[in-house]
Amino acid sequence: MKTKNLKGASFAALVLPATLLYLAVIVVPVAVSFFLGFTEWKGFGAPRFVGLANYLRMFKDPIFLHSLRNNLLIIAVSVLGQIPLGFVLAYMLYRKLVKGTKFFEAMIFLPITVSPIVVAILWNMVLSPVGIFPWIMRRITGNPDYVFRFFEDRNLAILPPLFVLLWMFTGLYMIMFIANLQRIPRSVIEAAVIDGASEPVILRKIIFPSMVGLIFTMTIFAISGSLKSFDLIFAMTGGGPARYTEVIAIYMYSNTFVYYNYGYGSAVSIVIVALSVVLIALSRGIFKRLEDKYE
Amino acid sequence: MSERRSAPWKFAAYAVLGLFTFLSVGPLVWLLYSSFKPTPEIVMSSIALPRDWTLSNYAKAWRLGDLGTAFLNSVVYTSVGTAATAFLAVAAGYGFAKFSYRAGRVAYSLFVAGLLITVHAVVVPLFVMESRLGIYNTRLGVILPYIAFGLPTAVLLATAYIKAVPDSLVESATIDGASYLRVFAAIIMPVSTPVLGTIAILTFLNNWNEFIFAYLLTSGRKLKSLPVSVNSFAGVLNTDYGMQFAALMVATLPMLLFYAVFRNQLMRGFAEGALKE
Repeated sequence: MKTKNLKGASFAALVLPATLLYLAVIVVPVAVSFFLGFTEWKGFGAPRFVGLANYLRMFKDPIFLHSLRNNLLIIAVSVLGQIPLGFVLAYMLYRKLVKGTKFFEAMIFLPITVSPIVVAILWNMVLSPVGIFPWIMRRITGNPDYVFRFFEDRNLAILPPLFVLLWMFTGLYMIMFIANLQRIPRSVIEAAVIDGASEPVILRKIIFPSMVGLIFTMTIFAISGSLKSFDLIFAMTGGGPARYTEVIAIYMYSNTFVYYNYGYGSAVSIVIVALSVVLIALSRGIFKRLEDKYE
Repeated sequence: MSERRSAPWKFAAYAVLGLFTFLSVGPLVWLLYSSFKPTPEIVMSSIALPRDWTLSNYAKAWRLGDLGTAFLNSVVYTSVGTAATAFLAVAAGYGFAKFSYRAGRVAYSLFVAGLLITVHAVVVPLFVMESRLGIYNTRLGVILPYIAFGLPTAVLLATAYIKAVPDSLVESATIDGASYLRVFAAIIMPVSTPVLGTIAILTFLNNWNEFIFAYLLTSGRKLKSLPVSVNSFAGVLNTDYGMQFAALMVATLPMLLFYAVFRNQLMRGFAEGALKE
């Protein structure tokens, strides 16, 4: 009996510090957000219960819908841009099509270490009138007055941040692909080559089937990461100009910390979590099918 | 196999990888040399190398941006947060991996679910809670969320790693009369060094670059981290380009050194993190 108590007490001593801190900082606030999402609250006094009003208001607000569209574009760029590009790069390095694979690996992965705030400001400077991009464009187009104007168009304004996200994260996916490609036994591929299998056949029959699980994990990564993308856009455009580049996280931020609508801001943050859960469930369905097909 | 590959493929591979390398490193190289360039030169030609290499951009940024304070804060937040996350995660990981309690399984699945939770889902209540507890605008108020947000990934990595430690190793020590906590200190901690390293490196990177907590949970200059200080630079002083470049370099340089030293561990860490989920 005594040893059993001791075991229980030791277990508690090991697990409780992490768990309690986690509950206090993450689980309880999420629950509170969920509750506040049904209220109107300015940060003082008692929250007033308003039912689903916050959620209804959100889906009628054109600014929210535009930021939702921007978020979906970010997800699209991550899943359809970063992951395939990461794979292409990884595959070239894995098959040793070039010399100095370590060098390329290290250089392409490098941007991941730079703070999103620095990345944002740096790219703003690259695109600014004194930046390299207009300098190059002036020489290509022959127009000495070229300036970068994407941000002035409501539909195009999101493109520069999308490109920068691609710039930051492609290397991450490349590294994950390389680690997984290296787990495929070399002998399997060599045997296929001896049997006369062409490169596309190897890719389709050996490489791709063993990547399905990883691509699923990456998709989850990309979806939850995209919905979290705040820092980069916040520092690059602040959601502007004229809220063209706003994403849901920035929409939440401005409603909460600029207009002090705590209840409404909480409802938006719950939508962010719900959206990522739904999208992940959806992609799980798609990948289940793909796995069945390949097994 | 390589002789089967035709030259055009190799050429294409060099072209693609070369382009990506240029795009990845180019802006950073430009940042590096521009930070030594006097602002008038930057305005005259953005691409040219500095004619008068100067450190005055750094001196000015350091003084006007109060970067010394921010640097120190970043060091404190990052190191304390990282050490605490790594230690707590390995302790909890031992509990989850080697003690079969139902409560343990429930807590573990809570940590797994935490991977989906974004900072934005908690920041409003956290802000309110911290204000009421009186830890808003304190170092503790910044560090606690840093630790908590590092935990889900760290706990997953630690649990998976300790699960693979042979039970016999743990049991023989227990039979010899060593208490569980002694086993933790004498056996689990030492054998977990590799996973501790992975956790520390990943968490360190995240903490150093973290922005929103340090931004929202502090006010005034004294407690800002480097990313927050650098961000406030961009809007206010955006015509002194040289100084801006220097400020960006100050925030980036420690990470470049970190990358030079821990590159392989970092890559392995990210790859493992993806495999374990």
